[in-house]
Amino acid sequence: MNPTHRLFAEPSPDQDFSPKKVRTGLEILIIGIGFLILIPLISLHRVTDFMIFCIFALSFDLLYGYMGRLSFGHLLYLGTGAYIFGLFIKYVHNNAFLAIVLGMLAAGVLGMVLGLIMVRATGACFSLMALAFNQIGYFLVLSPLKEITDGENGFGVHAQSIGFLNFNSKITLFILTLGLILLAFYFLKRLTTSPYGILVRSIKEDENRVRFLGYNTYFYKWVTFVAASSIAGLAGTLTALNYRFVNPNVMDVHQNVGVVFACLIGGAGNLYGAIIGGVAYMMISNFLAIYIQRWEMFLGIALLIIVFRFRKGIWGSLQNLGEYFQRTKEIRPVEGKRA
Amino acid sequence: MLLTILYGFSIGAILYFISIGLSLTFGTMRVINFAHTLTYSIGVYVLITCIPWMKGNFIPAAIIAILAVIPISYVIERYVIRRLYGESLDYTFIATFAITLMGVDTIKWIWGVNPLPLSAPLGTYVEFWGMTFPVYRIIIFVIAVALFLALELFFRKTIMGKIVVAALEDKDGVRCLGVRVDKYFSLMFILGSALAALGGVLYAPISAVHPYMGLSVLLLAFAVVIVGGMGNLRGTFISAFSLGMVMAITARYWSQGAETMVFIVMAIVLFFRPIDI
Repeated sequence: MNPTHRLFAEPSPDQDFSPKKVRTGLEILIIGIGFLILIPLISLHRVTDFMIFCIFALSFDLLYGYMGRLSFGHLLYLGTGAYIFGLFIKYVHNNAFLAIVLGMLAAGVLGMVLGLIMVRATGACFSLMALAFNQIGYFLVLSPLKEITDGENGFGVHAQSIGFLNFNSKITLFILTLGLILLAFYFLKRLTTSPYGILVRSIKEDENRVRFLGYNTYFYKWVTFVAASSIAGLAGTLTALNYRFVNPNVMDVHQNVGVVFACLIGGAGNLYGAIIGGVAYMMISNFLAIYIQRWEMFLGIALLIIVFRFRKGIWGSLQNLGEYFQRTKEIRPVEGKRA
Repeated sequence: MLLTILYGFSIGAILYFISIGLSLTFGTMRVINFAHTLTYSIGVYVLITCIPWMKGNFIPAAIIAILAVIPISYVIERYVIRRLYGESLDYTFIATFAITLMGVDTIKWIWGVNPLPLSAPLGTYVEFWGMTFPVYRIIIFVIAVALFLALELFFRKTIMGKIVVAALEDKDGVRCLGVRVDKYFSLMFILGSALAALGGVLYAPISAVHPYMGLSVLLLAFAVVIVGGMGNLRGTFISAFSLGMVMAITARYWSQGAETMVFIVMAIVLFFRPIDI
């Protein structure tokens, strides 16, 4: 049974703390191994790409799955990260690590500013505002900032190698991304299982009651928003590093549906769900798109099916299955006694 | 400057046509209808197909385009939106977005991805006070004002309009009186979609026609609805025309920034006003 699934997990006593740590470690190991297994099946470059998308899906899941705010403009923060990363390397300095940190910070600062307005809204209004801001960002890089960003064409990003880390090699990129996704996963795991995470999930359930308990929900929502946008910015910097190229497509408004789809198919409100969904979406969009020409149609139909029949996603169904087996195990001895 | 004001009025009129449907659907059914883009674009594409068929006559083709949208919007309402009544807004948003994806893909399938040409049905200009005005834009504005008056009459004088206004206030109260609210909601949905198609039909000749054309217009319409207040019909009218004016005046000085300015205005309004959805 997964403790994150319950709304109010009991505060664990100290002696209970160490198995929990072991468990988190094991989970991180399993995720790492899972991505390593993917390498022989698809190319190394693709796996890196998948992992970057999974980081993005994780950040989206924090916002949608945990806090219940559906953002249809989350790519704005990814794009900000990518652009700041690229511009820093192009104009200021060639240090990729500094650029990654700066890209994350920039996305976080943007999240801080926009979050002030955004988190007051709920539901569809939030989605629409996110969409509108994303459109503004897309427009900004496309035309008024054309001299710096090269508009539609975008520009190349060539990060120099630092020490033994050569950013042109696929293996280095893979290891760096793997490290960062595990770090992001660990951070989010800690964040979402902490009392703070429980509070955020309570806000999703009923914000008025949380406010009634005396919490300043506005602040908590804002912090979550900033965290989600910073992690999205991290995914953006890695995108730029991986493709060695930035163009406005990284924050194209139409692409937002991808991450929504990934989050829903994997199971919203669960970190594993986000990772499974991210991989599933990337598999579909990378491989199915080759065979099926009417690919958007397929995506639309799949989304409708998810909304009507499959709301828990892959991970939710797996959990249901697990609970079903556990229940049958518990019932069996009872039946034995009767016989 | 007078020309700019006229442009502002015509853009505002188009925004009004499109956002009134959104506002109605949200006010009555609590559904954010992303599929509005779809009815908008389908109207335009049917219009383009019908014009050669109608030997170049714009008005009958436009009427066919608007009528063609009605069955489509009925299907969307009956089989998707009606199942999502009372659900969380996110799901309706995603479901209608999925419909839009499917619809846009169908449009690409039938008509192709490339932009299609469509010229204004009236190329004539009139002269006032030594300035020339395109007649077409004046006609759009006149239609918008007529539509506003007609809707006002409809909502005040007819029993159907009164039921809808009452349902905007209190849906359960109306249902308690023994009125089948859902039937009226579905009619409102169809009316809204038809008006979106009307907006598309009128706007397409002065803008570009391509499969994704609905999206940017829909974003503007959402901005209008948010600024005017969801389900507030007169607020929608006022905010549509003021935002249309904002667009026209911005476009006069900085043509690329027109749409962005609308969103900036929306952000400012939202910052000072409590958000009710």
